[in-house]
Amino acid sequence: MGYAWPPHEAPLTEVLVVDDSKVMREMIVACLRAEVGLTFEHAASGLEAIERLSLKPFSLVVLDLNMPDIGGIEVVEFVRSQDTLRDLPIIIVTTRGDEGSRSKALLAGASRFMTKPFTPEGLLAEVRSLLGQGHARPQ
Amino acid sequence: MSQRLDVSEFLTGYLAEAEEHLAIARSCLTTIHAAIQRSELSPKSVRELFRSIHTLKGLSSMVGAEPIVQLTHEMETLLRAATKAGGDLPAGAIDIVVASLGAIEERISQVAKREPLTAAPKALLDALGELQFEGRPPSQKGTLDLDDETLAKLSAGEREELLQGLGGGRRAVRVEFVPSQKLSSEGFNITKVRSELTKLGDLVKVLPRSIPGAAGNPAQVAFVLLLVTSADDDAIAAACATTPEEVRAIASSIVPLPAASSVAMEATNDASGDDLERSPRQGDVLRVEVKRLDEALDGLSSLVVSRWRIERAVWKLDEEHANTRELKNLLLENGRQLRDLRAAIMRARMVPVSELLERTPLLVRGLARSSNKLVRLTIEAGTSELDKSVVDRLFPVIVHLLRNAVDHALETPEGRKAAGKPEEGNIRVTCRTQSATQLALVISDDGRGVDAARVAARAKSEMPRTDAELLALITRSGLSTLDKATHTSGRGLGMDIVKRVVEAELGGELTMQTERGKGTTFTLLVPLSVTIFDVFSFSAGGNTYVVPVSTVEDLIEVSSRSIVLAPNPSADGNAVRLLRHRGQTLPLYRVDALLGLKSSPAPTPKAIIVRRDTQSFAFEVDHMLGQKEVVVRPLRDPLVRVRGISGSTDLGDGEPTLVLDLPSLLYRPTLQGLAS
Amino acid sequence: MNALHVVFKVGEAEYVLAASDVLQMETFSRATEVPGAASYVAGLVQLRGQVIPVVDLRARFGLPPIARTLDARVLVVRDGDRVVGLLADSAREVINLDTETFQKPPGAIGTQSAGFVSAVAQAGTRLVMQIDFQKVIGQDGIPKERKDGAET
Repeated sequence: MGYAWPPHEAPLTEVLVVDDSKVMREMIVACLRAEVGLTFEHAASGLEAIERLSLKPFSLVVLDLNMPDIGGIEVVEFVRSQDTLRDLPIIIVTTRGDEGSRSKALLAGASRFMTKPFTPEGLLAEVRSLLGQGHARPQ
Repeated sequence: MSQRLDVSEFLTGYLAEAEEHLAIARSCLTTIHAAIQRSELSPKSVRELFRSIHTLKGLSSMVGAEPIVQLTHEMETLLRAATKAGGDLPAGAIDIVVASLGAIEERISQVAKREPLTAAPKALLDALGELQFEGRPPSQKGTLDLDDETLAKLSAGEREELLQGLGGGRRAVRVEFVPSQKLSSEGFNITKVRSELTKLGDLVKVLPRSIPGAAGNPAQVAFVLLLVTSADDDAIAAACATTPEEVRAIASSIVPLPAASSVAMEATNDASGDDLERSPRQGDVLRVEVKRLDEALDGLSSLVVSRWRIERAVWKLDEEHANTRELKNLLLENGRQLRDLRAAIMRARMVPVSELLERTPLLVRGLARSSNKLVRLTIEAGTSELDKSVVDRLFPVIVHLLRNAVDHALETPEGRKAAGKPEEGNIRVTCRTQSATQLALVISDDGRGVDAARVAARAKSEMPRTDAELLALITRSGLSTLDKATHTSGRGLGMDIVKRVVEAELGGELTMQTERGKGTTFTLLVPLSVTIFDVFSFSAGGNTYVVPVSTVEDLIEVSSRSIVLAPNPSADGNAVRLLRHRGQTLPLYRVDALLGLKSSPAPTPKAIIVRRDTQSFAFEVDHMLGQKEVVVRPLRDPLVRVRGISGSTDLGDGEPTLVLDLPSLLYRPTLQGLAS
Repeated sequence: MNALHVVFKVGEAEYVLAASDVLQMETFSRATEVPGAASYVAGLVQLRGQVIPVVDLRARFGLPPIARTLDARVLVVRDGDRVVGLLADSAREVINLDTETFQKPPGAIGTQSAGFVSAVAQAGTRLVMQIDFQKVIGQDGIPKERKDGAET
């Protein structure tokens, strides 16, 4: 069934994937499939992401920059203004040409910044390094 | 797990989304063009256009469609500047953007047809690059009554939007939505609030803000929603799960609506004319969102309901011995017209099968390449058409069968040579209309055939004697497909799902013929459109249920005047309620009581009259909610196989809604519905 | 032999199911009640277009109902043609268990789920119980009456 479980003991890690394109969300999940022990929730807008984050804990957010209503940078700014979410790892995934947003996103508090097209290894490496930093586990 | 992202898996999704964004971009352009003709700005459409182009760029870069990336990149730069200028796009830019969209569309269809992409036209790239313009500073027509923090987060275009087109009952308001676990469990989330508010007016901006939690609790999140609307406070508050007092007007200076609506009409017509929608290959074909057809169906439903009202009024006249012959003839004709109209709308939902199969060559090519096989795909789609809802369900099934054929059924070129076959494997997809209601789709290959012994061993079962038995084994859930999982078919649907979609969801039939060394043929018989049921939805006992319209004879109001109480022969001694209807006296049952739910009499209950054989019954419900076309799924699991519940459906909220077989509820072990 | 197991909680007790038996895990918000179904059937949920029944393990194990939290999980299991969800109070962990160390449940387990427990195992300092999910969802739809000392 292609159903991967962690080969070692580990709590499940919940990842919120935020992008208004469904295919893009699926591609992101496909890239991260190799990392065992991750479970994914999808949010199709920045608003939905903020709502989910306010209602339950996540270990990591993969976030698109350009979305309806409020964009990724506004999401990051808002998340960082919340006491409980100050340390939440956030990877910004955005389209080439948006590099100008890079410094804005990092200033706002994004943990990492990736440009589409990205490779599975690239994204995986960022995820692994962020989750390895120890502030990733939900309480 | 492969090192690179296997793009072929996402191509179908890419094509679907890319087309969607092209359609959005076109409709935005139409609006922008019309606005320019009226010397107005359309910041919202410019923003939307920008976003679609941007998303298209990101997606295209993931699938390596470089010329599209280049074109969208230049368009994006232009549109970003326009957004900053409050939505001001110079008229000259429109033509170039239209031409660029055409160029993008060409390349998307090349992606679909697995052709190499033509480079982006240099002239177009240059023209886009050279387009420089002076954005007008947005006009200031008034001020917004908002706190500085919120104001700071509004762009010039958004302020403009909030101040534009006010008057005539339209005002700009601010309201908040505070999400909670409780609301979320009731399906009340920001996405829903957003879509509800969009129905009530133009939602200009949504912003999150932090609000202090109750004593000692952590801060909470609230969403500030700014919209221009003519809806009243009650409706707005209800959409946000708040009170009308929380709805606040924010535009302090009212600007009258420009007295130019007739001009606007002309401009709109103009915009949809030649220079914008010059689509090279569509001829007189019009692309319509399914949603719009659904709206037409909704409209039709209300016509059906008002026809019933008229019918009832005629009955009443009858009882008063009035002459109703002419009225009745008109009603009959009206009924026919409604049926014809319905059929016409349903025909508009039909999609050519050729369109369904259009994307398979690309898929097969990708699969062949990644499995190092030589494949010739032959498609004979014919002229058959299928309902959109059937197409949507069928497509993944076809993808899976093709995947299986390439990955497992066809041998490698060497293997084929050794077996005395041509190196190139054949896959054939044929489609024909089988009868007035059914379509036959045949997918065959000339590969190695299904190894029955191996399947039997895998399934730890006896050797199947017939192809039908073999198919039953293959489609048994849990048994992964025909051969070792390769990276292309390790995921996606299993054969069990193929069977379920064809048989359980579509009510069709799946058969297979296979011969060792010669090949395998799958035949799918699927209905052209009958998966759709017309149902009434209603609430009873606080829940929503549906009944098929075809089983319903009439819908009437239950008033105390129409009810007769009769003594109950059974032990509990409660009176039996009888309802007078068209000169007959029918037993009246409460649906909530029949279902064992708590009864709380509604202020204006309705009754659904259902006929079973020669007997009619009346079922009392709290409210009628509406009429809808839905796909009904049977409930097969023994845990939920219950008399009186014939299936489940999705009314669009993503949650199952039960389909009731009302007369069968009467035969449930404990009959409680009769008493008042 | 080591095998991965999903650990989930129902009431105070911890249970395990072999990860290979679990098709997927989902968060739970609500289910559509099916009037007339067994009292332990929480209702129907729609997962990726498929409608599946959900067994409320609390009710199945004879525990009183509680307000569901965001921790609630539906463990989706498959038995032949059937796909059924099991509603647990929470499911947070996946652990490796040596199946050799599984033992028959002692004659009198002090929980009301006793009839559904097929084995017990030690995970570190904790005792976890393996449930017989086929028995929980009932074969052929008629949940078998549990017998004492049922086969493992």
